[in-house]
Amino acid sequence: MTKMNEVASQPGFGTSPHAAAADLGQVPAKMTVRDLNFYYGDFHALKHIAMDVPEKKVTAIIGPSGCGKSTLLRIFNRIYAIYPNLRAEGEIVLDGENILDPKYSLNRLRSKVGMVFQKPVPFPMTIFENVAYGIRHHEKLNRSQMDERVEQALRGAALWDEVKDKLKQSALGLSGGQQQRLCIARGIALKPEVLLLDEPTSALDPIATSRIEQLVEELKKDFTIVIVTHNMQQAARCSDMTAFMYMGELIEFDRTEKIFTKPDKKQTEDYITGRFG
Amino acid sequence: MHATASNAATGADRADESARTAKDSRNDLLFGWALKACALLVLLALVGAAASTLWLGMDAFHTFGWGFLTSAAWDPSNDQYGALVPVMGTIGTALIALVVAVPISFGIALFLTEIAPQWLRGPVASAIELLAGIPSIIYGMWGLFIFAPFVAAHIKPWLMNQFSADPPDGKVSWLVQHVPGLARFFSSEYPFFGAGVLTAGLVLAVMIIPFISSVMREVFQTVPTRLKESAYALGSSTWEVVWDIVVPYTRTAVIGGVFLGLGRALGETMAVAFVLGNTFKFSWSMLETGSSIASTIANQFGEAQGLQRSALMALAFLLFVVTFIVLLIARLMLRRLATKEGR
Repeated sequence: MTKMNEVASQPGFGTSPHAAAADLGQVPAKMTVRDLNFYYGDFHALKHIAMDVPEKKVTAIIGPSGCGKSTLLRIFNRIYAIYPNLRAEGEIVLDGENILDPKYSLNRLRSKVGMVFQKPVPFPMTIFENVAYGIRHHEKLNRSQMDERVEQALRGAALWDEVKDKLKQSALGLSGGQQQRLCIARGIALKPEVLLLDEPTSALDPIATSRIEQLVEELKKDFTIVIVTHNMQQAARCSDMTAFMYMGELIEFDRTEKIFTKPDKKQTEDYITGRFG
Repeated sequence: MHATASNAATGADRADESARTAKDSRNDLLFGWALKACALLVLLALVGAAASTLWLGMDAFHTFGWGFLTSAAWDPSNDQYGALVPVMGTIGTALIALVVAVPISFGIALFLTEIAPQWLRGPVASAIELLAGIPSIIYGMWGLFIFAPFVAAHIKPWLMNQFSADPPDGKVSWLVQHVPGLARFFSSEYPFFGAGVLTAGLVLAVMIIPFISSVMREVFQTVPTRLKESAYALGSSTWEVVWDIVVPYTRTAVIGGVFLGLGRALGETMAVAFVLGNTFKFSWSMLETGSSIASTIANQFGEAQGLQRSALMALAFLLFVVTFIVLLIARLMLRRLATKEGR
């Protein structure tokens, strides 16, 4: 614990992530996290997080269970705000505005930052309605526009060919992998700018997992993606940047290649090589 | 030496094993039969109760034929009996109770599962369960001594001013002048009398709110957090999450809870007997006194003989029929919903 603090207080700790982003071919930051602290009641869950999430790249967050990686993701769209006693301090700047500002509209934030959860959770509605549901909260579309948007989203999630003949059937009849792609379709149907994926493949079989990974590769053309994963190979395979977190702190944030070949910090190396976690 | 010993042991093990398998399958068979017997007992009790009320009510059904269902007469001194007033009273009070209790229960359950702070949830939930445990006779006394005078003093005059053709303040409202047939539901022969169909319906509503709301609360809790979070993540407000996600997800169980409450309202005896007035004059008005099946039986069974007793039994059988029809409607509704959702 004390060792962590030492690491955190080392000079340059807060600046290296920014330098790393610059390495990645001058990609501008879509989201900038500054001195972010998060509390579950009295428990200090995230400590002084600072990072730049590069635009239209895949940023992976890895770390052992309980390190705060999902917590961090859940601040990016303020989904934590539906529960009492949770509190975030600091700044997350998205397109020049601080989304943690209470005046920042939740509705607008959630149309800009979409989220896909660990387990596929289709709504108890038809496949079509699952995708159209979110759109209706933000836009008034006529029938043909809506049909078009739904098709576009389902194509984007590589699901259209499998479901185009059964759009009026219940989404609960789809397989697990299809359900998860439906959830991705639901998320991208709002045309968000950032897409948050919270361990999106942890409940899926290897074939469904590889389809989702291919999809992530496709999606980064249009979206800035942040993916939390338990699976280090997955982070290595499909991300451009990787953040390693441990006990509520961001230990290292760099190009994925660098994190997995020659990380700066010993803890990162220990985790990558499987010595703990 | 070593090998033979182990062979012998294997032989003994085999014998043990097959004995054990035989015993297991025998026990499972017995267990299965025991469970079947338990389930059968329910069916037997149901069929037995229905058949015996029908049997004992045969006399009345024979004497009055179909007229028993449509006649409003209930006159023990002339031995004339008709079921119209009690049947309508039963259905009317139960409907009023449902109309009032369902939205309130819905609100209570949603408040407790979605909005209330954690520390408040436990106490309110146990308070509701305590409310469910109060004996109906106490609700009846409360209804008679406290609630009925309140209805007579406040609710009834207001309703009559708004909706009746003979309002206490003398000014017939615009609504009554322009909506034909409205006034007949709000007429009252004795405006200062608190007992009546509406009063009984409201007392019943208070009685069934705990049932409906605790069923609703329990099923609302079964909605997966992830499902709600997904909807919030798409920009839904709490209201939209409830209406679009929680309600459809739990619809079957919610309807089940509503019909459980309705079943209780239909069969409730003592509380209704206290506040319904126990008169047998047919009226469409909810401000008029009336009778229900259960309250009529409770009030008259002691001194009933001959045809009157048979008529009361026939009423009891009709209560079976009404309850059965209600359950049937619930089933049909659920089936239609299921096909609509494409399941």
